[in-house]
Amino acid sequence: MSMDIILAQTVVNGLMVGMIYVLMAIGFTMVFGIMRIVNFAHGEFYMVGAFLFAILYGSNGMPFAVSVLLAIGATALLGLLMERIVFRRFRGNELNGMIASVGVALILQNSALLLWGSSARTVPPVLSGVLSVGGIVFPWSRLVVIIGAIVAVVLLNLLIGHTRIGRAMRAVAQDAEIAQVQGIRVDVIFPAAFVLGVSLAAFAGVLMAPVLSVSPFIGLAPTLKAFVIVVIGGLGSVPGAVVGGLLIGLIESFAGTFVSASLSEILQFLVVIGVVLLRPQGLLGRKEREA
Amino acid sequence: MKRFELVAVLAASVVCSAARAEDSVTIGVHASFSGAGAAFAEGMLAATDFAAEDVNKDGGLEVAGKRYKILIKQYDDRYRAADAVTAMDRLMIQDGIHFVVGPMGSAAAVATKDQTTSGKVITMTLAFTPRALGADAPFAYRPVITTGEFSDPQVAWLAKNTAAKQVVSLLPNDETGQQIGVANFNSYAKAGAKLQVEYFERERVDFVPILTRILMKADGLELGGNSPTTAGLILKQARELGYRGPVFVTGGDVAAEMLKVAGKDAAEGTYVHLPIDTSLPDTAAYVTRFKAKYGQNMNGFSPFFYAGLQMLFTAMKKAATVDDTTKIATTLDGLSDVPTAMGKAGWTGQQKYGIKHQIDLPFYVGQIKDGVVTKVATCDVNACR
Repeated sequence: MSMDIILAQTVVNGLMVGMIYVLMAIGFTMVFGIMRIVNFAHGEFYMVGAFLFAILYGSNGMPFAVSVLLAIGATALLGLLMERIVFRRFRGNELNGMIASVGVALILQNSALLLWGSSARTVPPVLSGVLSVGGIVFPWSRLVVIIGAIVAVVLLNLLIGHTRIGRAMRAVAQDAEIAQVQGIRVDVIFPAAFVLGVSLAAFAGVLMAPVLSVSPFIGLAPTLKAFVIVVIGGLGSVPGAVVGGLLIGLIESFAGTFVSASLSEILQFLVVIGVVLLRPQGLLGRKEREA
Repeated sequence: MKRFELVAVLAASVVCSAARAEDSVTIGVHASFSGAGAAFAEGMLAATDFAAEDVNKDGGLEVAGKRYKILIKQYDDRYRAADAVTAMDRLMIQDGIHFVVGPMGSAAAVATKDQTTSGKVITMTLAFTPRALGADAPFAYRPVITTGEFSDPQVAWLAKNTAAKQVVSLLPNDETGQQIGVANFNSYAKAGAKLQVEYFERERVDFVPILTRILMKADGLELGGNSPTTAGLILKQARELGYRGPVFVTGGDVAAEMLKVAGKDAAEGTYVHLPIDTSLPDTAAYVTRFKAKYGQNMNGFSPFFYAGLQMLFTAMKKAATVDDTTKIATTLDGLSDVPTAMGKAGWTGQQKYGIKHQIDLPFYVGQIKDGVVTKVATCDVNACR
């Protein structure tokens, strides 16, 4: 295998992982930006989405599109329920909200363990085989992830930038009180943002289920990555989440391919420390205003 | 008069509850019920559950003319050494337990060794590290066969039968992974092949970047030492990258779970360590019983713990005590040819570990063909045939 091919392969690997991190981090950062809650249960919604898709598509053989919609829809409903019961009470209360989210994460993970068991499940690939271009191997299952994630990010961008609810979300993220004075119903925007974030996590789970495997414990690693990414990109910044996600994906891929797996973890945290020291608000984040 | 009756009833209930407490033996299960190794933990718990069920249905364990009901108490160490110490403290101090099925992982076994030794708690560990056993841990037993026992003969057989010379291995970067990495490296060297070991953090699920690099020059992929889920993921991703060479899993019982994760096509032809022989009637009965009760395929380590508990109960009966763990351990050490669910078992390991606390049973090499594991060789610590 020549160096060009390995480089191209490494970029594709990095993009795939990076795009999943982007989906996770966007949801995570949106919830923080709008509700001021660091949601450590975010990865558990990824897990629930993946499990539901595995059951619908993998075990019951339902059509792909129906399974995707049902898995995301059901996870979104669960998110709405959690927002109503738990997170609503902690809006703007960052510390207590974070602790509550850890509790929700444990409840969801252990509920999944009781309901679906500890055994890993596999989901048949949506597209199998590999696309071979000039010696570079692209597994179709991974290309589906990249394409799916790009479509989701574009749609989200359109929603946030060009729709009434998107503009309302941006206004609430900037200043909830002023937004309310302007007639924006923040009591609708908060749950809407939370459900949107949860849906993105569920979609990431759906995309990754056929590539990896599904078990009650798959949520923790993506949550930690999402946290790292939003610190790099800037808490509350959607473009920052995109940049941070792709950066971490590529670092992971290049370090893992050319140096060692352990070093890739070290490098990611060195980047986080560097960003926190040199640009505390993150690469694309805004500085908090002094009171 | 009424006051006297009340006192009498209270006194009687205290006496009765004390008698009930005296007539039971509690076995602790100390394992990682959450995380990637949960399948192992569930196998250990099921073995304890079955052993207790069997004894209790006959009225309890008869020791020195008294019958003891077997109770179970379980704790999750979450695959972390610090949590393992806490869980062991709870079992020993809070629950006053003298017999423990576990610890499960190597880090947990090493971390709790001093505790269990000073507390004279008899443990039955799944830890693969050689440090789990030794003359400094006279109460630690291992009822499963580890890399130290099966690595040399299996690797020699695999190297001879597949002609692999440049083998790569991926292992978790912890006590378990590093011990297995060293053992496998030495075994491959003895068999005339070179093993390159790459370590990764246990939380990792995407192995494609590492595989892209290490598979370039490899003619064999060794996955022994990984959890079943991880082994399946690595295998699946290696096949996706176009790797078509032989795959070996010279450790653990991963076949069933690995097949589920990797799929039948990716797993085809993979050589796996086969800890049990289901052609033995008692072993087959255990497998059927597990499937009937839990509705899923059994982890292959489970019957080893059942066999270990059968040996422990035999030792308790012979030692005529359920409290004096020193006497029970001495009796357990002297047992040989004990009929168990896995065949006749005894203890070995004096030369290797400085103490005869390693279970002595045959093991096997299997190959996955069309989604089914077929036995292709029978082994002991000297050779596979």
